[in-house]
Amino acid sequence: MKILVIIPAYNEQDNILNTIDDINRHCPEMDYVVVNDCSRDDTERILRENRKNYLSLPCNLGIGGGVQTGYRYAAEKGYDIAIQFDGDGQHEARFLRDLVAPIEAGEADIAIGSRFIRREGFQSTGLRRAGIGFLSGLIKLLCGIRILDVTSGMRAVNRRFIEQYAVSYAQDYPEPEAIIAAAVRRARIVEVPVEMRERQGGKSSINPVRSVYYMIKVSLALILARFSA
Amino acid sequence: MLSTSLRVAILIGIIVYYFILIMLLRQKRLTLKYTLLWLFSGLMMLILSVFPQLLNGITRLLGIQLQSNALFAILFFCTMIILMSLTSIISKQNEAIKQLVQYTALLEKRVREIESCGD
Repeated sequence: MKILVIIPAYNEQDNILNTIDDINRHCPEMDYVVVNDCSRDDTERILRENRKNYLSLPCNLGIGGGVQTGYRYAAEKGYDIAIQFDGDGQHEARFLRDLVAPIEAGEADIAIGSRFIRREGFQSTGLRRAGIGFLSGLIKLLCGIRILDVTSGMRAVNRRFIEQYAVSYAQDYPEPEAIIAAAVRRARIVEVPVEMRERQGGKSSINPVRSVYYMIKVSLALILARFSA
Repeated sequence: MLSTSLRVAILIGIIVYYFILIMLLRQKRLTLKYTLLWLFSGLMMLILSVFPQLLNGITRLLGIQLQSNALFAILFFCTMIILMSLTSIISKQNEAIKQLVQYTALLEKRVREIESCGD
């Protein structure tokens, strides 16, 4: 099976090479592509000079538009499985094989790397966990499926959903919305236990002021996504 | 009834409004497609200020005391419709731009790979 790891990166000059090394060391059989979302730091120069495989967006699209570019690339290049894997050092490549296993076995369409199954590794802050719990409950209410780590950016999808996401993918804060969009298309979604690290450097895209906007926007988007399909 | 002075003021306002609109259209600084709603709203205001008795039905139906208030309500409604259409246009353009950016990035990678083959 041809597997592509999509690495969205925005201002990740300090982490991006480590992330690529991590993947090459643990999963040399997988290809990767970095999607540089118009970083203002040296991310692009580092990628170019080290001859890494990357796409570079001429305007900043945000995480959703960046990841979707990766899915379009995967669709174009005929990959069977695509994995999203953050470029900021939070995700660990040693869990990638576990993540794709249910998809390779044909048991699932989408596999989500979840922090909350074994409750090991960095568990996020209390307030953020409460928000994740709320969104998880909302998704259960809307679609009847229980996903614990709905905001996890580490996920693998099969060919069917590579093609689906290449055509349509939520733009800002897309993770929970992508679950609903797949669930209404009757995707078989599983969670795979993984550990995550606290971010190594760079800056998180979510601050306290944005988190209220985040909760309202995502909740509305979830309800809308449920009833527009 | 609308006072004569208000009707005259509205008429003058509409003349200025149409003058600006047509000037911008002639200079091609506005696309006709996106200006139709503006032209239509202006026409409606023109008709209502010339024949204010057309407002009587609405004032009675909605229990509005003053004709001028009915006129403003209609104007407000027109503005809302125009704003909504603008948001819809922006959303469409946003999607188009996103697709262009993604397509450009995919092309740029292919060009880069072709050029590095020659090295």
